Amino acid sequence: MADTDAGQAAVLDAVRRGMIPAHIYNDREVFELEKKRLFSRAWLFVGHESEIPQAGDYVVRRVLEDSFIIARDEAGEVRAHFNMCLHRGMQVCRAEMGNASHFRCPYHGWSYRNDGRLVGLPFHRDAYGGEAGFPRQGQRLLPAPSLASYNGLIFVSLDPAAPPLEEFLGDFRFYLDFYTQQSSGGIELRGPQRWRVKANWKIGAENFAGDMYHTPQTHTSVVEIGLFREPKAEKRKDGCTYWAGAGGGTTYKLPAGDFDERMRYVGYPQEMIDRIKAQWTPEQQRVVGEDGFMISAASIYPNLSFVHNWPRVGESDDVLPFISIRQWQPISEDETEVLSWFAVDAQAPEEFKALSYKAYLMCFGSTGMFEQDDVENWVSLTNTAAGSMARRLLLNSRMGMLPDGSGVVPALTPDQFSGPGTAYVGYGEYNQRELLNRWADDMERPVPATGPATGAGDAPSAVAAAPDPAAPVAEAVGQA
Amino acid sequence: MTSMHGSVPSVDSLSGQSVLGGGASRLRRAGPSVSFGDERHQTAHRWLVDEAWLLDLQSYDEWLALLTDDIHYLMPVRVTTALGAGYDTSPGMAHFDEDKYSLSRRVARFQTEHAWTEDPPSRLRHHLSNVRTFATEDADHLVVESATLLFRSRGDVREGSLVSAGREDLLRRTPEGWKLARRTILVDDSVIRMQNLAIFL
Ligand code: FES
Ligand SMILES: [Fe+2]
Repeated sequence: MADTDAGQAAVLDAVRRGMIPAHIYNDREVFELEKKRLFSRAWLFVGHESEIPQAGDYVVRRVLEDSFIIARDEAGEVRAHFNMCLHRGMQVCRAEMGNASHFRCPYHGWSYRNDGRLVGLPFHRDAYGGEAGFPRQGQRLLPAPSLASYNGLIFVSLDPAAPPLEEFLGDFRFYLDFYTQQSSGGIELRGPQRWRVKANWKIGAENFAGDMYHTPQTHTSVVEIGLFREPKAEKRKDGCTYWAGAGGGTTYKLPAGDFDERMRYVGYPQEMIDRIKAQWTPEQQRVVGEDGFMISAASIYPNLSFVHNWPRVGESDDVLPFISIRQWQPISEDETEVLSWFAVDAQAPEEFKALSYKAYLMCFGSTGMFEQDDVENWVSLTNTAAGSMARRLLLNSRMGMLPDGSGVVPALTPDQFSGPGTAYVGYGEYNQRELLNRWADDMERPVPATGPATGAGDAPSAVAAAPDPAAPVAEAVGQA
Repeated sequence: MTSMHGSVPSVDSLSGQSVLGGGASRLRRAGPSVSFGDERHQTAHRWLVDEAWLLDLQSYDEWLALLTDDIHYLMPVRVTTALGAGYDTSPGMAHFDEDKYSLSRRVARFQTEHAWTEDPPSRLRHHLSNVRTFATEDADHLVVESATLLFRSRGDVREGSLVSAGREDLLRRTPEGWKLARRTILVDDSVIRMQNLAIFL
């Protein structure tokens, strides 16, 4: 990341002061270190259980360069396996989604059940000496080192010793419910739309985490055309940002009213509000009903973001809310694949689902009118960060912080904001700093080397199989 | 339409499957494509060429006037599925799934002074080919298929980007001339290689 350890320390130091060396947004060495020290251990989103509702349903998702088959096996359990044949390494599944009880490798025909177990080898007896020569039992595609889900959101970590997902998410779980648990049915996801932008992955994550300041400028046009009534400058600065656990986000301040009135103000029909009230805790309801804040964009470190907005979707003045979940999947230091899903409460009325989908398409995603202008900025920024002048420039990311490190405004008290974590009203870059501080912590912490594994590994999510000490290639996953 | 992907729904059924496509005409092609010398084909081909020039010039007001009020403008998300899976578009998800209102908002946005993604504007070239025309059971409607390749260049040194797609259009004869009543765009990429779709195909 820098020519010397001292150079690296200086970069991380500057980041922690809220002065961001511009080149971190387009620097090959930085990206190599991010792969090694950040993406090798973070919990990374790979999909939602609603994308694979039936036994045999699968989607194929990547974690950087690694392809994983995320499948629901015949017993209904969600599995994540490295999409590489144990024999000679062919990609076992080459579709993006589908339903299959087995995956047959196209190269020589080894076949695997959707729970990862190896079940068939052509000419097993002639070529390997049958079960005695090469027992199939216990052989399975390499499982993701760690796999867990929360509210149906499926995450993997390449670190077998990753902390439990819930511990990692921490108090951000409180806010996750706003997006993903509006009824006992949870959400269903559609998509993703996928597209590649020549922008560094961190920029989107930072923007969604806390950048309320860009809304009045970047998104002027969507207000001018009557799509969105909120982001006038004076409105946006009345909102607050919060950070809790692994993530943080932005809110809008709503006009006076109780919980029901404010939920109706952003377009929820009463039957959904009733289910939401049965689902959210009193504290969660107080954030809206008493404190008057409605969640909008958010990010979970490192690269998962959420958005909740309420545009007009027709000629009438009525607005309708939508939710999107998106991942900023790094391709290189200057390219990101955006995966953007539409999410909606599974128990919402069909008409609401249809119009909420329309609201999503108009605002976010590959064609979204908010998103179009965001990406233009991020591409331009990334492009400008590549050269030698960018190496001399420390970007100012200190909004909301006085020279002595204290806040321009005090944090909200529990009376003013009922959610966990720390929240501030108005414009600030608290959350962008939180995100990059975590980034700096990871970048500084070496990762122990991981030893080789075979199909007979015993990773935590492996199917229990009779141990066979005689298996000639059996080797535990271990540290080199 | 038959193809290698024999079990995949034909392009003219996709609009009807969209939850937002309910208002659009469901008319389908009848019979083989008409001959290139047929006046109906020449009319449809000329319409598409004229439209391509409007889109290149971003003359979006004029373009909007060529769309019927009940238009459904659909560009499904394409997905890679196994041969025989029975579908190759993402269930329930599109890039564009538009009616006249949402298209008019997109056009209105480009006409504000704050649509940064198109200021400075892109240089656009819609290359049009493989046009063929089909009659429908209604003499005032034609189905037209075409291929389009959009080249988009932004700024001075950024690499240009391409979107390749097939399109199936339903054209309707109206007192003001022929108008587009339904368009289904089958983009050839699963992962779009353009920073956004602040364009029309
Ligand atoms: S590489 Fe898969 S069977 Fe040989
Ligand atoms: Fe934005």
